[in-house]
Amino acid sequence: MIPSKFDYYSPATLQEALSLLSEYGDDAKVLAGGQSLVSLLKLRLASPRCLVDLGSIGNLSYIHEDGADNLLIGAMTRYAEIAESKLIAEKCPLLRQTALVVGDVQVRNRGTLGGSLAHADPAGDMPAAILALKADLKATGPKRDRWIKSEDFFLGMYATALEANEILTEVRVPVLNDRQSAYLKAARRPSDFAMVGIAVCLKRAKNGTCEDVGLGVTGITDKPYRPQHVEAKLRGQKLDPAAIGAVAQSITEGIDVNGNIHASPEFRAHLAGVYLSRAIQAAIGS
Amino acid sequence: MMDFDKLFVTRDWFGKPVRRNEDVKFVKGEATYVDDIDMNCAHVAFLRSIFAHARLKKIDTSRAEALKGVLAVITGPEVAEVTKPLPARAITRPARQYVMATGKVRYQGEPIAAVVAEDRYIAEDALELIDVEYEPLQPVMRIEDALKPDAPLLFEEAGSNTLLDDTMEHGDYEKACREADMVLKETFRVHRYSSTPLENWAIIARHDKGTDSFTVWANDQQPGRSMTTVCGTLQIPTHNLRLIVPESGGGFGIKLAIWPYIVILCLLSRKVDKPIKWIQTRREHLLGGTHAPDGIVEIEMPVKKDGTFLGLSVKDYQNDGSFIHTAGIYGLIKFATMVGQYTIKATRMEVLSIATNKGPTVQNRGVGKPTMTFALERMVDIAAKKLGIDPAEIRFRNFVKPEQMPYTTPSGEIYESGDYPECLRKGLALGEYDQCKKQQAELRKQGRYIGVGISTGVEPGTSNLGYYYTSSGVPEYMGSGEGAIVGVDYDGNINVMIGSVDTGQGHATVIGQVISDMLGITPDRVRVDNTLDSFISPYIGHSGCYSNKFNDVDLGAVIKATEKVRARIFTLAAHMLKADVSNLKLGDGHVHVTNDSGKKVSFKDIAALAYKKITLLPEGMEPGLKEIAYYRNPYAKLPNKQNFNVQLTHSNSCHVVTVEVDIETGFVKFLKYVIIHDCGNQINPAIVEGMAIGSTVHGLGATFLEEFVYDDNGQLLTTTFMDYLKPVAATVPHFEMGHHYSPCPTSLLGSKSAGEGGAIGSLAAVANAVEDALSPFDVKVTSLPLTPEKVVKAIKETKVI
Repeated sequence: MIPSKFDYYSPATLQEALSLLSEYGDDAKVLAGGQSLVSLLKLRLASPRCLVDLGSIGNLSYIHEDGADNLLIGAMTRYAEIAESKLIAEKCPLLRQTALVVGDVQVRNRGTLGGSLAHADPAGDMPAAILALKADLKATGPKRDRWIKSEDFFLGMYATALEANEILTEVRVPVLNDRQSAYLKAARRPSDFAMVGIAVCLKRAKNGTCEDVGLGVTGITDKPYRPQHVEAKLRGQKLDPAAIGAVAQSITEGIDVNGNIHASPEFRAHLAGVYLSRAIQAAIGS
Repeated sequence: MMDFDKLFVTRDWFGKPVRRNEDVKFVKGEATYVDDIDMNCAHVAFLRSIFAHARLKKIDTSRAEALKGVLAVITGPEVAEVTKPLPARAITRPARQYVMATGKVRYQGEPIAAVVAEDRYIAEDALELIDVEYEPLQPVMRIEDALKPDAPLLFEEAGSNTLLDDTMEHGDYEKACREADMVLKETFRVHRYSSTPLENWAIIARHDKGTDSFTVWANDQQPGRSMTTVCGTLQIPTHNLRLIVPESGGGFGIKLAIWPYIVILCLLSRKVDKPIKWIQTRREHLLGGTHAPDGIVEIEMPVKKDGTFLGLSVKDYQNDGSFIHTAGIYGLIKFATMVGQYTIKATRMEVLSIATNKGPTVQNRGVGKPTMTFALERMVDIAAKKLGIDPAEIRFRNFVKPEQMPYTTPSGEIYESGDYPECLRKGLALGEYDQCKKQQAELRKQGRYIGVGISTGVEPGTSNLGYYYTSSGVPEYMGSGEGAIVGVDYDGNINVMIGSVDTGQGHATVIGQVISDMLGITPDRVRVDNTLDSFISPYIGHSGCYSNKFNDVDLGAVIKATEKVRARIFTLAAHMLKADVSNLKLGDGHVHVTNDSGKKVSFKDIAALAYKKITLLPEGMEPGLKEIAYYRNPYAKLPNKQNFNVQLTHSNSCHVVTVEVDIETGFVKFLKYVIIHDCGNQINPAIVEGMAIGSTVHGLGATFLEEFVYDDNGQLLTTTFMDYLKPVAATVPHFEMGHHYSPCPTSLLGSKSAGEGGAIGSLAAVANAVEDALSPFDVKVTSLPLTPEKVVKAIKETKVI
C-alpha cells in the first residue's frame, strides 16, 4: 500500500473528531472499518489531506433497544457483530441476513455499518437493508444531532445527505412484529459487490396477501433506492409467483440502470426482476 | 526409466504421500522472499503510459529530480541509448523494442521512466512530477482490427501487425478432406487471462563500482536464460552479473518475463550508491506483468460418418499484445499437441502472432494448450452431435490406443506412454456418466437444466527449447536439462542445490524422498537450499522452474549427482572398512559390510575422513564429498519443422463434469467434478493431487471469472482483484479424483508432468457440460468466459456463447 501523504488523527472523543472535521472540511475523510476507504487510498483514487479514525472513540459500537420499539445500532458496529447479535436475529433478522453476505470474513470482521452507509457505494449491501427497514440515521454535527430518513440519505454515487462536518453515529431501526425478510444478491462470486441486491421486509395478512412491504435495491443505479411504486403495487396482492412476476420487472422503472464489465444495464434490469421475485419468495419461506 | 532395484536401497519414501517439509516456514511467514532481504535499499517506482498507443514527444523529469528524497531518474530514451533491443525468438518479421518505451508507447502501463528515491512513497510522489507529452495514436486492440489493411502499425519496421505467419503441414490434409464424409468448421475464441501468484515480481539490484559489476536478487523463473538476456541487453560480460533467486511465491510462467525489469534496475543502480529495490504492485502486475494472449482458433475437421477424425486444420490467431520477446510461442506450443489424444493422421496449422496495444504476453500455465484443448474438445463434441454419436463413444473411436505407445504424432511429437481409453472409462464410472444423463432427462421435465461434459487432454512437460525457433530457424537453445549439486556435510547429512528454484511445488520434499531412498537415510537428513546463485549453483541455459521439467530433468540431475556421491561414499567406506566395494551396502545412514555382521561405518565418519582427516585418504583421492551433475533429456530432437518434439513428456487427464445452469440468472453450479489423471509414477501422490486440483481451479477461473477487459481506447478495466476475479473457495466444486499410472519410459523415475493438467482440460469439460445443459435451447458454446450475462443472452436471443 503506497498512498499519498496524509495526516492521521485518532481522536479519543466524538467532539475531537467533529472539531477536526470542522477544521479540515472536505480535505478530511472519516476512517471507520477501512474496508472501502483504504482500497481507494491504496490506488491513490482518494488522496485526502487528513484521516480521522473513529476507532479510538469508545462508545460508537453497540446494539440495544431504546424502549420505544426501536433498535439502536452504533455506527462503528461491525458486520460480524451484527451477524452474531442475538438481539438482531430476534428483532430484525434482515440485518443479520444482509450482514452475513457482505464481502468475506475479513471484511465482515473489520467493516462497519456506519462506514458502509456513509461511504454510500452504489452496490453496498447494508444500504438495501436499511432502506427496506425504513430506518433512520443519526448525523452528529458540531452543534447538534439530526435524524435523516434512510430514503433521504443516499444522494448519488458515494454521496450522502451528511454535511462535511457531520459524522454518522447511529442507526435507528423500528422493531416490527410479524415480519418476514430476505436479502438476496447476484454477484459474480459470493464475496463480490452486488450486480443486484434486493432486501425485502414483508408483512403478510392472515389470508396470505401482502399487508405491508419494504424494499431496498442496490447495485442498479448510482445509489441504493427504495422502489416505493413497487411496494405500492405489492400491497394487497396475493403473493404467488405469477402475481410477483407481474410486478417484478417494474423495479427498474424510471431508473437509470448502470452497466459495467460484470453486467450491462439490460442484464442488471433483468436480474433485478428475477431477484425481486426470488427475494420475496425467500422472505415468505423464511 | 531406471531399474529401481539398482537405483534405490530402500523404498520407504518414493511414491508415498510424504508431508511437505517446506510448508511450516511458508505458513509462518518465515521464508525469505526478495522483499524480506533487508539491505537498506532505496526504492524504485515506474511511470507508466496512460495511453495504449501514443508517440512520446517529450519527457521532462526535472521537477521529479528536484523533489527531496529522489536519488535518480531514468527514462526510456536514455535506456535505449545504452541497451540492445529485446531479442525476439519466434517471430519472423523485424520488430524493434526496448525494455522501456522509447519513441512510442504500445500499451497502457508500459514503463516510460523510473525513479529511485529514499522510500517508495517519495518515489511514487515523484512520478506525479514527471511531465510527459504524448501524441495519442489510434489503439489497435482486437485481432480483427489489427489485420485491417489500413490498421495503424505497432511496429512500423515490420510493415504489418502480423509478426509471425507460418504454416506447418504434416500428412496429406487435402486427401483427408477428399476422403471425408463431411468437413466440420467452427471458430472459437478464448479471452485474455493470466496467473496471479501471491508474490509479484520483485528485484533488488546492487552495483559494485570497483568492478562495474552487478548483484541482483530477483524471483526469476528462468534464471539460466536471464543471465544471457540481461547481460546481452546491457552489453556486459556474463561474469559481471551475479544473479540470485531466493524463495519465490508462485510463478505459473509469468515470472519468465521479469528480466527486462532487471535490466532497468541494473542501469538505475549504477546511478546511486546503494542497493535498490522494486516490488511490483498488484495493479502493475495486472496491467502488464503479464498475460496469456487472447486468441481466435479456426478449426476444420474432416470426419467419416463412423466418427473417425481424418484430419485437423487449425488457423490460430494469437493476440500477443506488445512484447516481441515471447510473441508467437503460444501458437508453436499449440501446434505440438494439436491432435490431442487422437490418432489424427493429417494436420495443417497456420500460426499467426498479432501485435496489438494490449499488454505483454508471456508463458502462462499450460501455454496455449488450454486454448487448443478447449477448441479441439469442443470440436469433438460438435462432431459427436452432428454425427449422432455419444461424446464418450466418439472419443473411444479416435483415441491413440495404449498398444500404439510410444506414439508419434504427424509432426514428430512422441507420446511415450499413456492409456487414454482406460482413463476415460474410469472417468465415466466415477463421474456416473450414464446416471447423470438419465437424471438430466428427468430434471428437464421439472424445468431444471443439468448437463454432462467430458474433456480429455494431453499435458506435456519438459519443453525442448528448440521449439521457439521453429519458424525463425536460428536456434539459440535446444533440448532441456538441469544441474544439481549433492553433498554430504560434516555430520553426514545431505545438502542439495539445484538450478531450478521451487515456486511452491514442493521440490525440497520430493528431492528428500528420492535421495533418502537412494542413500538409505530419512528425509529429515536432506536439506535442499531453495536458492539459485549464479556464482555457486549448478545451472545451464535451461535452468529454472517452468514447463513441468522438474520431475524429469531436474530430478535427473539430482539422481546423477547423488549417484556420484554414493560412489564416493562407497569408495571411502571400502577404504575405511578394508572391504571390497562389491561387499558393501547402504542402510540407516551407514555403509555396512554384507558378509561380516556388525561391521559398518557412518556417513559422519566417512565425512570426517573426506573433510578433516584428509591425510588418511587413499593415495590420489581428492578431499571433500560433494558432487555436481548435469542431466539432459536424451530424446530431444534437433529443431526441424518436419519432425520435431516440442515437449518431452506427456501426461494426460480426463475431466467428467456435471453442472446445473440457472437459466434465469446464467449462474452455473457444479453437481459433480471428476478428474482422472495419469502422470506416470507419482513420487509424492499428495503433491500430485494438490497440483491437479490447483490447476483445475485455475482453469475454472479462466472458464467463469478471470478476464482482462479493455475498452475501445485500450484502457484496461480490470486492474484490481475487484474486477479481475479469481476463483475463491466458495466457487470451487468438490473434486473427486482418480489416477492411472503409465510410467514414463523416458524419464529416470517414470514420472511425468503434473502441474498443468487441470488448467488444460477443465475449460472444455465445463463448456461441453454447459452446452449439454442448454441443448433444449440450441445454445452453442464457442467462447469463454461463461459469464452469467452471456449465458442468459444466449438462451434468450443469440444462441451462441
